[in-house]
Amino acid sequence: MTGVWDDDVVEAADVRASSAPAGITETQDGPGMPAALETVPETAPETALETVPEPVPGGPALAVSSRGRDKGAVVTPSERPGEALLPAPSEDDAVFEICDLSIDYGLGPGALHAVRHADLMLRRGRVLGLAGESGSGKSTLVYGATRLLRQPGVVSGGSVRLYSRRRGEEGRVVDLLAASERELRRIRWSEISVVLQSALNALNPVSTIESEFDDVLKAHRREMSRKTRRERAAELLTMVGINADRLRDHPHELSGGQRQRVMIALALALEPQVVIMDEPTTALDVVTQREIIEELIGLRDRLGFAMLFITHDLSLLIELADEIAVMYAGRIVERAGASTLYRSPRHPYTHGLLNSFPPMHGETRRMTGIPGSPPDLAAVPAGCAFRPRCLYAMERCGTEAPALVPLDGEEHEAACFLHSGDVAVPGELAR
Amino acid sequence: MTDNASLAPALEARGLTKHFTFRHGLLSRRGRVHAVDDVSLVLAAGTVTAIVGESGSGKSVLARMLARIVMPSAGELYLMGEKVVLGQKGRRQYASEVQLVLQDPFASMNPVHRVRHSLVRPLRIHHTAGPDLEESVKDLLRRVALSPPERFIDKYPHELSGGQLQRVSFARALAVHPHVLLADEPVSMLDVSIRLGVLNLIGDLRDKERLAILYITHDIASARYLADSICVMYAGEIIERAAASTLTDSPAHPYTELLLSAAPDPARGQPTPLPTRGAPPRLVAPPPGCRFHPRCPYVMEICKTTPPPPVTVDAGHEASCWLRLPAGERRPEASSQASLPMVRGGPGLHARKEVASRNEP
Amino acid sequence: MSAITETTARQEGPLPETPETPALAREDTARRHRALVLPRSPKVILGVVIVGIFVILMVVGPWVAPYSPSSTQFAASLHPSAAHWLGTTVLGQDIFSQLLVGARATLIVGFVAGLIATVLSTVIGVTAGYIGGPTDDGLSLVSNVFLAIPGLPLLIVVESYLPAHDQSNSFIIGAVIALTGWAWGARVLRALTMSLRNRDFVEAARIIGERRARIIFSEVVPNLLAVLASSFLFTMLYCIGAYVALAYIGVTSTAVWNWGTMLYWAQANNAALANQWWWFVPPGICIALVGMGLALLNFGIDEFINPRLRAAGLTRKVVRRSRLSNRPRLGLTPVLGRPA
Ligand SMILES: Nc1ncnc2c1ncn2[C@@H]1O[C@H](COP(=O)(O)OP(=O)(O)OP(=O)(O)O)[C@@H](O)[C@H]1O
Ligand SMILES: Nc1ncnc2c1ncn2[C@@H]1O[C@H](COP(=O)(O)OP(=O)(O)OP(=O)(O)O)[C@@H](O)[C@H]1O
Ligand code: SF4
Ligand SMILES: [Mg+2]
Ligand SMILES: [Mg+2]
Repeated sequence: MTGVWDDDVVEAADVRASSAPAGITETQDGPGMPAALETVPETAPETALETVPEPVPGGPALAVSSRGRDKGAVVTPSERPGEALLPAPSEDDAVFEICDLSIDYGLGPGALHAVRHADLMLRRGRVLGLAGESGSGKSTLVYGATRLLRQPGVVSGGSVRLYSRRRGEEGRVVDLLAASERELRRIRWSEISVVLQSALNALNPVSTIESEFDDVLKAHRREMSRKTRRERAAELLTMVGINADRLRDHPHELSGGQRQRVMIALALALEPQVVIMDEPTTALDVVTQREIIEELIGLRDRLGFAMLFITHDLSLLIELADEIAVMYAGRIVERAGASTLYRSPRHPYTHGLLNSFPPMHGETRRMTGIPGSPPDLAAVPAGCAFRPRCLYAMERCGTEAPALVPLDGEEHEAACFLHSGDVAVPGELAR
Repeated sequence: MTDNASLAPALEARGLTKHFTFRHGLLSRRGRVHAVDDVSLVLAAGTVTAIVGESGSGKSVLARMLARIVMPSAGELYLMGEKVVLGQKGRRQYASEVQLVLQDPFASMNPVHRVRHSLVRPLRIHHTAGPDLEESVKDLLRRVALSPPERFIDKYPHELSGGQLQRVSFARALAVHPHVLLADEPVSMLDVSIRLGVLNLIGDLRDKERLAILYITHDIASARYLADSICVMYAGEIIERAAASTLTDSPAHPYTELLLSAAPDPARGQPTPLPTRGAPPRLVAPPPGCRFHPRCPYVMEICKTTPPPPVTVDAGHEASCWLRLPAGERRPEASSQASLPMVRGGPGLHARKEVASRNEP
Repeated sequence: MSAITETTARQEGPLPETPETPALAREDTARRHRALVLPRSPKVILGVVIVGIFVILMVVGPWVAPYSPSSTQFAASLHPSAAHWLGTTVLGQDIFSQLLVGARATLIVGFVAGLIATVLSTVIGVTAGYIGGPTDDGLSLVSNVFLAIPGLPLLIVVESYLPAHDQSNSFIIGAVIALTGWAWGARVLRALTMSLRNRDFVEAARIIGERRARIIFSEVVPNLLAVLASSFLFTMLYCIGAYVALAYIGVTSTAVWNWGTMLYWAQANNAALANQWWWFVPPGICIALVGMGLALLNFGIDEFINPRLRAAGLTRKVVRRSRLSNRPRLGLTPVLGRPA
């Protein structure tokens, strides 16, 4: 599937292949997405067994979920069959690090604190999911970190670092908050690319898809000839599952899902190490959403970039992401591996959120969701912002804001006084 | 829920069809969007019927026809067993029985009016207020769990959250004392954490007030949670219907299967790969035969030419797919015969549809 | 009003958590209050002041005018002086008095005409936009015709057919001017109504069985108020211009004092050739000022309805104090504590 890459790109790919951890190299050698669909073995992983429907008489078994997938499929880390092959994430994997980042809207006493003391770490070849309700500050966080935030947004503290792995620049660390405009322009797109929230309508309605690719490649890859640019555009488009003959089309001739794929292809055009997707599938249908996610995961496996995936759909993230951070009212309240977060949430908000998604199997019983309504950042309650909706709120929660602290080892953090050791942890938060 | 009297259809649709015509270019050539084709549906008191389907499958158009906001191109409506004469006349009377709640709570409240106005109007129009108008408004707010009502009655829409607004929308619909409530994606614009609150409200309206409810969504998990039965729509047609858990546990139509495998489901450990790819057809020229055949992984020759009949898979479980008929019975004639036992409209509807689809280029 | 109750409720809410958060509550209050009063941008204040002064002139002008505007008792063609602030005409009339007296007729005609034109354009535009179909076709045709006919010639024709005593009646002249001034507003309102017609809240009104007329007046029109106000200001501006132009070419009664007739007399007596600038410049400046005032007021309406223009606490002073560049650049979010 990988066609003619220009020299620069081939080199970059080589670097990746040689430095990639074993697990990822293996998936790279594995079949690409469409091929994977055909070579599926008929073995089902145990977790999926209960979902197998009865074969219906009178036709082939329609048991969709009885098909498992080989390595290289969408698997959460702890369930990855090749778990042992994957080295534990070391600092060497880090490509993008956000430390103690705070972002305000406006200045001085009237400022709205949209993000407070957020820490995130993106590692190569891994998907970090950022979940949270509307207005919790997810977009603000990533736009602020990449300094794309518009007026009146202001970064009011923290640091953001990019650990460059481009050939010839290995080990170079870029401090995004100190970078000049020129430096930022150079990094954006070629090292960090962001697919904005309203990306569905971001394509210029009067230019063709081809000229969108052309513009990007022309700006960042001066040495490319017109012909190679066109070849590269065709290749990128094929990579995201759109026929290359659609290059001549205008955006309105494409469906929403296709437009979103074009945006993804554009974001990947310069082989960035960090890809940030802000709700890339929210406006799309479930089927289209799944197609795009399958494609993204396939691309991630093949190209090895680090991905930050923002969505409010936690159940989707659990299937997609390796690690998940949950935001509430401008703060990250819990961070853990995807399956850990699903099986043993520690923060009452995460627990409530997980219980807000009706299950697809088993008995249907009445569920309650989370009482109250999502917070207004302009009037965040004192102490823990979740306190007014929290079933376990204590006196302390009203006066002090809990910090994000490691719980069971480094890999699980939560910001909740229930886990401070002073009180008995409720059963459902101690699983 | 099982006694027969309560299962009498509050609202029944037979062969509802909506084709939008539009002019095409300078020569004024007319095109037709087959938004909804020959849909029959029964809404019984005290039940929630869910309709799931992709965007553009015609769910909203169907709901608007049921609410008589959109005039059907063909088909009939029966309210409490009585045939409804379609047209402008009697719209108001009909509105007092059948109410529709729209998807976007922020857009469906007039930004310049207070909550009070939104609730007083239906009470006035349909003379459903008690002796004390103010008290009736407060009662409505309490019914949708907005209490104390004093806190909400004088608010403007921008001062309320999405979930609260959607409750006001429900209160507005309930003000007329309807028997049928149609809810067009009532939770899709809401934050995840407050969706269940609104879903539970709908469930309570079914259980406590025995309303006949149509719940439209593309979230199949919420349909399973809330509804008694689920209909799956694809490209303007209902292609499968069954009791909620039957449909999600053992889908009989390849499209339903596709929907299910695409829906996020953390419990399954790892997502199953999609069985097929592709997009829904353009409704201006729907494909001949089964409308799903261009995407169907099991497509057969007959699927490409003849629309499949609704086949009874099990009691109360019906799917329009050729696979559901034994190989020997997959003949074009079956298209009109097999529909006999299941579709209330009788075979005529399907015969007509077949003729129509043959005439299409 | 309810916004105020809301604010107090918020202030009584839970205590803020860190020293910097009391500001949150205050900012909240400030924002809500700002939504209630007109925005205080310098542009708008200037507009309010200018228009306010002229409104006062309109009311009190004829009473405070030092002399009768028509009396020819003074020496001819006096330069501005303490006795005659704006000098006198060749006929020996006091120009300052003419200006003050003329303000009333000018502004009243403008106001009346603007009002009538706005009402006409609302009724026609909203009806056409909401009902659509053949009604829309018909009404659109009418407004297009009125748009296409050049306004001034039409006005000249209609005015010259008016009986003499009507030519001095401000209301009748206003009505006639309105006739040529409504069409543009109607087109704008029609387009806006068409976009409102399919909005969910209008559909919701239809669903509960509301009647059409009621939907138009109680659901659609209130949402057009800001546009109506804006359209009123501009129509008024147009009408003042049209009235002045008519008076200037002598179509309306020259016996009624307004800024147009002043210009008419100045022109008829070759004031420009005689270098008597004090005769024709003051009315010209007044007309320009009124126009500017109305246009500035319109900014206020813009800011009032468009929350985006209300900067979120980013006043110039705050920006300067924090040593950030006050020219925001796209794609370069400022970082506090580091030079931009
Ligand atoms: N320009 C702005 N001025 C002031 N406040 C803003 C501005 N933009 C966003 N906010 C506020 O910042 C908060 C965070 O917004 P943000 O867009 O980051 O949320 P989000 O988590 O991305 O939500 P969504 O899921 O809806 O995209 C919100 O409360 C919002 O009201
Ligand atoms: N007024 C109209 N004129 C022409 N075509 C229309 C009109 N209203 C709807 N359609 C078409 O009818 C089809 C069905 O639309 P509908 O709104 O019912 O879809 P839906 O299933 O509700 O989708 P969604 O999930 O996005 O709400 C679409 O192809 C749409 O373009
Ligand atoms: S009828 Fe044929 S094409 Fe249609 S769903 Fe069934 S098998 Fe697939
Ligand atoms: Mg966002
Ligand atoms: Mg819809």
